[in-house]
Amino acid sequence: MAEPSIFFSEVNERQGVFHRRAFLMGGLAGIGLTALAGRLAYLQLVQAQRYQKLAAGNQFNFQLVPPPRGLILDRNGVSLASNRPNFRLLVARDRGMDIDKTVDELAQLVPLGPDHIERLKKDIKRAPLKQPVSVMEDMTWEEFSRVNIRAPELPGVTADMGEVRVYPFGGAFAHVIGYVAKVSDRDLAAAGPNPDPVLLNPGFRIGRQGVERAFDSPLRGRAGATKAEVDAAGRVVKMDPGGDIPATAGKEVRLTLDADIQNRALEVMGNESGAIVMMDCRTGDVLCMVSAPSFDANRFVRGLTTPEYKALAEYERRPLLDKALTGLFPAGSTFKPTVALAALSAGVDPAAHVVCNGGWYFGGRTFRCWGRHGAQDMHNAIKNSCDVYFYQTAVRIGPDKIAAAAEAMGFNHEFDIGISGQKKGTIPSTAWKKAYFKSNPANQKWFPGESLSYGIGQGYVQVNALQLAVMTARLANGRKALNPRLIKSVGGVDQPRGDAAPDLPFPHEHLEIVRAGMAAVANDASGTAYRQSQLGLGEVKMAGKTGTAQVRSYDNAASRNSASVQWKLKDHNLFVAFAPVDDPRYAVSVIIEHGGLGGGTAGAPRAREVMRVALLKDPEVRARIEQPLPLPEIGDIAEGVAPNDAVAAPSGLPT
Amino acid sequence: MTASALTRPGERDRPISKFLEIDWTFCLALCLIAGAGGLMLFSVAGGSWTPWAAPHVLRFSACFVLTIVLAMISLRVWFVAAYPVYAIGLALLVAVEVVGDISLGAQRWLQLGPVRLQPSEIMKIGLVLALARFYHGLPPHKAQFSWRLLIPLGLIGLPVLLVAHQPDLGTAVLIASTGAAMMVLAGLSLRVVGAAIVAALVAIPPFVLFVLHDYQRKRILTFLDPESDPSGSGYHILQSKIALGSGGLMGRGFGLGSQSQLNFLPEKQTDFIFATLAEEFGFVGCISVLFLYAAVIFMALRIASISHSHFGRLAAAGVTATFTLYVMINGAMVMGLAPVVGVPMPLLSYGGTVMLTVMIGFGLVMAVRVHRYDEVTSGRGALL
Repeated sequence: MAEPSIFFSEVNERQGVFHRRAFLMGGLAGIGLTALAGRLAYLQLVQAQRYQKLAAGNQFNFQLVPPPRGLILDRNGVSLASNRPNFRLLVARDRGMDIDKTVDELAQLVPLGPDHIERLKKDIKRAPLKQPVSVMEDMTWEEFSRVNIRAPELPGVTADMGEVRVYPFGGAFAHVIGYVAKVSDRDLAAAGPNPDPVLLNPGFRIGRQGVERAFDSPLRGRAGATKAEVDAAGRVVKMDPGGDIPATAGKEVRLTLDADIQNRALEVMGNESGAIVMMDCRTGDVLCMVSAPSFDANRFVRGLTTPEYKALAEYERRPLLDKALTGLFPAGSTFKPTVALAALSAGVDPAAHVVCNGGWYFGGRTFRCWGRHGAQDMHNAIKNSCDVYFYQTAVRIGPDKIAAAAEAMGFNHEFDIGISGQKKGTIPSTAWKKAYFKSNPANQKWFPGESLSYGIGQGYVQVNALQLAVMTARLANGRKALNPRLIKSVGGVDQPRGDAAPDLPFPHEHLEIVRAGMAAVANDASGTAYRQSQLGLGEVKMAGKTGTAQVRSYDNAASRNSASVQWKLKDHNLFVAFAPVDDPRYAVSVIIEHGGLGGGTAGAPRAREVMRVALLKDPEVRARIEQPLPLPEIGDIAEGVAPNDAVAAPSGLPT
Repeated sequence: MTASALTRPGERDRPISKFLEIDWTFCLALCLIAGAGGLMLFSVAGGSWTPWAAPHVLRFSACFVLTIVLAMISLRVWFVAAYPVYAIGLALLVAVEVVGDISLGAQRWLQLGPVRLQPSEIMKIGLVLALARFYHGLPPHKAQFSWRLLIPLGLIGLPVLLVAHQPDLGTAVLIASTGAAMMVLAGLSLRVVGAAIVAALVAIPPFVLFVLHDYQRKRILTFLDPESDPSGSGYHILQSKIALGSGGLMGRGFGLGSQSQLNFLPEKQTDFIFATLAEEFGFVGCISVLFLYAAVIFMALRIASISHSHFGRLAAAGVTATFTLYVMINGAMVMGLAPVVGVPMPLLSYGGTVMLTVMIGFGLVMAVRVHRYDEVTSGRGALL
């Protein structure tokens, strides 16, 4: 055996170096291990509470339970906006998830178009982590169960049952109720720095228009939550029902509208563009408020495609515009009752005659009347809608008196009906003109010639359909300056009634003169809308006033009533009515945009149809209509005569 | 019956004497660490022996037997095998570069028949052996600073470059650090050490910016500011810290750590097993395991320093350095003190290759202890 190497000095030396260096290394290892222990002590002893909180935040997940949206009902409890179950498929992005693969696999389970797949992949990749993105709505039960069976193998994929808004009447209430739509970035920005978390829920829809928007907060309710223990992939490991917070359903909003009247109103509009507003002239309740053409609000819930939206936005009859509230029209001859009231207040004698020769020469030109009426008192002037009478009357009393009467009748006013979007229009006066032409001093003066067109509701006059209905309702009511009411109750709490209003500043006799004129329009055989205003309900009659608002000057035009005229250039056709004449209950205004000449032709028949529905629905009116004939005693009828003969008998009655 | 230098000739070569020379305290520490690993793997599998705990315990048992067998092998055999093992390791590293399997974007594995090999692991042992053998034959003044040090530099540099190219930055750093530690232990001039440290500090920023892969750079930048992206790359570090911190003093209880049980902790069975331990057994459990690691490290260092041969000293110290670096890097990573690199906690983490490497290394350490009085010929390449 060789000599041990320990005896060599050179070996000895390097052993010494090694020992010193090994000692150094041991020291370094000791320092390192001590540092690790120190770090452990810091994390586990000093910061333990902070990290325990974070761990609990990881472990427990509050899953939002969206509240059911409140119902919107009509005055009789018919549901106008409700909710239906919706099976949806959601994907939430997560770490280490193969989005392309997940979506491709989902496409095997549910029908997804290739474009849709591409868009989904992009959407999911862009969405914040763990924020579910809706892949498909309204799955069938088969699709829903197919996805649910596969969901455990597909991380981030969930199929759940949510609720979706449904509007059973489609378009009839679209403008009043509005619709709900996906939450936009702008909604989130408006919600402030701490938005209601329900806004981020993929199925959540926010009120966009009309009642849905105005009452979004009471309708929305409050979201609840279920507490669940989840793993890192977001899968629920265990539910913790003790930690659940129940959702509070949204409040019910009841409108004053009547679904039957509203539906009939949209129906009678046909292809025309315009608005119909009906009010109860005892309470101020708005019974129908229709703007035509309309659109199917259900499509907005799902989200419109670009071509769908373009078709709606570019159609010249503008279905998206609410013509009942925001559509402004010259009042035309429907303004004449108001001018008559102004004249009576100014002391004009209603029996005084004005001679109509088909026109009136004033200020260097002839203002034409639509007919040649001869000598007219106020009653006949309303019945015949004589322009010359109102030209002269307007010039006599001046614009400010007309404006005062118009404002008392509800024009130039924005009513608080709970939903936004009214345009109050224009009722001109000397003060108004001064303010309006601020930059044009030459035009600030009121020219007498302007009074003429004012007198027949043209010129600067701009009104909306609701104002026309309010005017008619106030006239028919005869006592109160009624306010329209659209929202009957919110969450069971009644809203203030429309007849809690001050009295009209007109004496009863004056109103009676005007109402008699309007009754003659519809019931005197020579009235402007006699033929079109027959309700066919026996002694229950309607009173009305026709109106035509021209949209261009006819001074040089050969004829106003040309069938070949382009739609856009036709006159607006207006009609206001109330019924029954002897006991007014319902007032209606009809505006047919570019409906053509003569309020009787397009407006009156529609007003009549809508009025019939309202009258026949009213049990008291119905009792009046359906009173039994004073038949002779049973014994007087000869044996063997069929009862049908009695029905045939009225043909022999005098007409 | 302690074997000593005064025993009869041949007495120390008897297998029974060798067997009794094995440091059983050291073995006990290893078994306790591996047992803790098995326990944690049982827990993270949701209280199940499969898929991790049972293989872990079985592998450790097999490796432990192998360690005992290796401990009986004479240092002379180790000495002779040193360069061939290194050469085989290097050849396999080149082979993996050419035909290796690609997993997770890195080329690390080599399929040899039924065996899946990670050549970088062989290299860890190979490099320690090769450097020990080289320095064994080097006069001490030359070990301080001389042109001959280019040879160990080359021995270290070649595998480091190959491993880094796979790319496996963690292992490359580990191999380079082990090599550097052995050069220092062998007597490298402290001035050179100082100069090298300064040079490294200067070189790191441009290296990080221009040489590293994107994902590697991201890991480092994330490490510097983990909260900047809590759901992206900072996720690992943050979740690991949450697991650690929420453990508190006594831990949340066996099988009750929400971070690991609910998979918030990434790589919970491998790189982040220490975080699971910390979550479920708290500060007390962590310190106990760290104490075991410290015991292994210091016992191994002591074995290195009592060896009579320079080869034995350096080999044992080299293995210890590797092991220490594993523990330090993984510990620092789990505690949010170092960037996330794929370095497991030896014996605690699940994973056969690393366990095999570590246990072969400890076989060498024990062989050094058993054969501490053996003379290893200093002749250059001479057999026995």
